Amino acid sequence: MLSKINRKLLNMSDRSIAWLFTLPTIILLIFINIYPLIWSVYLSFTNFKANRRGMEIKWVGTKWYEKILMSEDVWANMQVTAHFLFWTIFIQAILGLSLAIFLNRKFKGHELMTTVVVLPMMLSPAVVGVFWSYIYQPQAGIFNYIINFFIDFGEFTMIGDFVLAPWSIVIVDTWIWTPFVMLMCLAGLKSIPDYLYEAAEVDRASKWQQFIHITLPSVMPFLMLAVLFRGIENFKMFDMVNELTGGGPGSVTELASIHLKRAAFEKWRTGYSSAFAVILFVTVFGAGSIYVKFLNKLKEK
Amino acid sequence: MSEVKLENISKNFDQIQAVSNLSFTVKHGEFVVLLGPTGAGKTTTLRLIAGLEWADEGRIQIGDMDVTKSQPAERDVAFVFQQYSLYPNYSVYENLAFPLRSPLRKSSKQEIDKKVREVAGILHIEDKLQNRSTHLSGGEMQRVAIGRALVRDPNIFLMDEPLSSLDAKLREELRLELKNIQVNLGATLLYVTHDHVEATTMADRIGVLKEGELIQFDTPSNIYNSPNSIYVANKLGSPKINIIPAHLLAVDVPETVKFIGMRPEHVKIDESAKLEAKVETIQNLGVEEIISMNFNGEIIRATVRPDEAHKVRDSIKFNIDTENILFFDEASQRVQI
Repeated sequence: MLSKINRKLLNMSDRSIAWLFTLPTIILLIFINIYPLIWSVYLSFTNFKANRRGMEIKWVGTKWYEKILMSEDVWANMQVTAHFLFWTIFIQAILGLSLAIFLNRKFKGHELMTTVVVLPMMLSPAVVGVFWSYIYQPQAGIFNYIINFFIDFGEFTMIGDFVLAPWSIVIVDTWIWTPFVMLMCLAGLKSIPDYLYEAAEVDRASKWQQFIHITLPSVMPFLMLAVLFRGIENFKMFDMVNELTGGGPGSVTELASIHLKRAAFEKWRTGYSSAFAVILFVTVFGAGSIYVKFLNKLKEK
Repeated sequence: MSEVKLENISKNFDQIQAVSNLSFTVKHGEFVVLLGPTGAGKTTTLRLIAGLEWADEGRIQIGDMDVTKSQPAERDVAFVFQQYSLYPNYSVYENLAFPLRSPLRKSSKQEIDKKVREVAGILHIEDKLQNRSTHLSGGEMQRVAIGRALVRDPNIFLMDEPLSSLDAKLREELRLELKNIQVNLGATLLYVTHDHVEATTMADRIGVLKEGELIQFDTPSNIYNSPNSIYVANKLGSPKINIIPAHLLAVDVPETVKFIGMRPEHVKIDESAKLEAKVETIQNLGVEEIISMNFNGEIIRATVRPDEAHKVRDSIKFNIDTENILFFDEASQRVQI
């Protein structure tokens, strides 16, 4: 009925109306996403430097790719990224699920509690980076005070220490993003009807069996989706770490994206950083696709 | 299998009295049906016996054990829920095996396998064992749910309207099967329904519930032929019993009798009879016909053989089997004469 009126009014087919509505978005995407992507792929094969406009652009082939893949520094960055990725996801998955299970019990004040737990997520990561640098402050910071209150380590510095600094960014990221994983898990938990637990209870299943056979299978797709989001986000993590440690001390917290930013906008090696960006893009895209395939298979099962 | 005994059970939810002062016994090997409308406290009664709710007052005994305050697992009862409640991520086989894997049982793998296949055979779902529980039809799902109760050897089977979401044909089929299984196993079974046909076809004894109270508890034939109130009389029988004010019929009854009840099969169309009414509607059910007629402003239904030719708006004469008339007083209670 409605489409008939439309057709008469505008004298357009459904298909052209669909185009009319999506075209602005498509144009916008082409200009801010697709075009720069293709352009940066092109630049990755040249010696272009963004701070020298007049320079003649020369084709250098796969020079930058070879250089990056052979560079020990880059591999160190990748290892830092891997360490950051693995531990943030691992800790956030466990903490997020536990918190969700805890908050899913309808105790008094669980709604207020949920709101409080979710608060860190509302803050800008850059702001969080700045104020955690105060929290980590060796003399006056609350973090050191609390740790020393329980176990006396004396004076120590989280962000200044070669061993502790990689963990300092893991802690802050966990602080911000555990609520996100928790919310996803909570959605999964809420989808489980009570009568399943009642049936299991009558079937004389233990609490552990109920967790393994009812809770976990229902939450798993949600948890895995949360892990996917966190993985992609943290692979390109920049703002919080840049504010908190700036990649230091040395380069022990220099994530791939920080390395990229330094190469692109401090050293102005545009060709080199374009090549690195392409490598990162392919990596995250490939890993993401494989993961999504796996996730869909799990859902089918 | 054990006897289950309820003594003066009461349960409130906030302000609502769900069950009040309920007492009855399900004997060993007996099929008891609780019959009542929505909100009569049927499901609550089952949940109280299963231990999913705790009674505010009264005592529940399973076998020789007082279980009033026991956890569900300690009671060892099987529950078939209205919503199937299969474990969604598992196959039919896994669902059936689940109760056998309880830490309170410790069955060996071979035992579990044997039991699961045996029960699948009883319920005719052998070829569905590897299907995922969510990829089944409603009837199959309910078979699995019943099967999950059957694999165990519980003190009592509790079933909460297990057939209500199935279509009529399937319901009839499963009803018969369920009764056969119960008889073969000698199972003690408490079944809840609002369907009077399910109640009369399967039950050894029926308990009629109204607003959390047990109105009558007796065999199906006693409930049908000798109900203790108009409420119970209305529960069984289709078409429903005719209830008319006593003064309309010229019968000799005590002062207390205010209403007269007669089953439609006891109303006889007879050309030589004295009572006269006008035919309002005729329903042909094939095997019989239901004639609704207007008798002094009251509707009386009679079941007759379909070959008798009657027409709507015809005047018709009828008679009543006086032996089978039921009398009720002002408070709708039965008056024995």
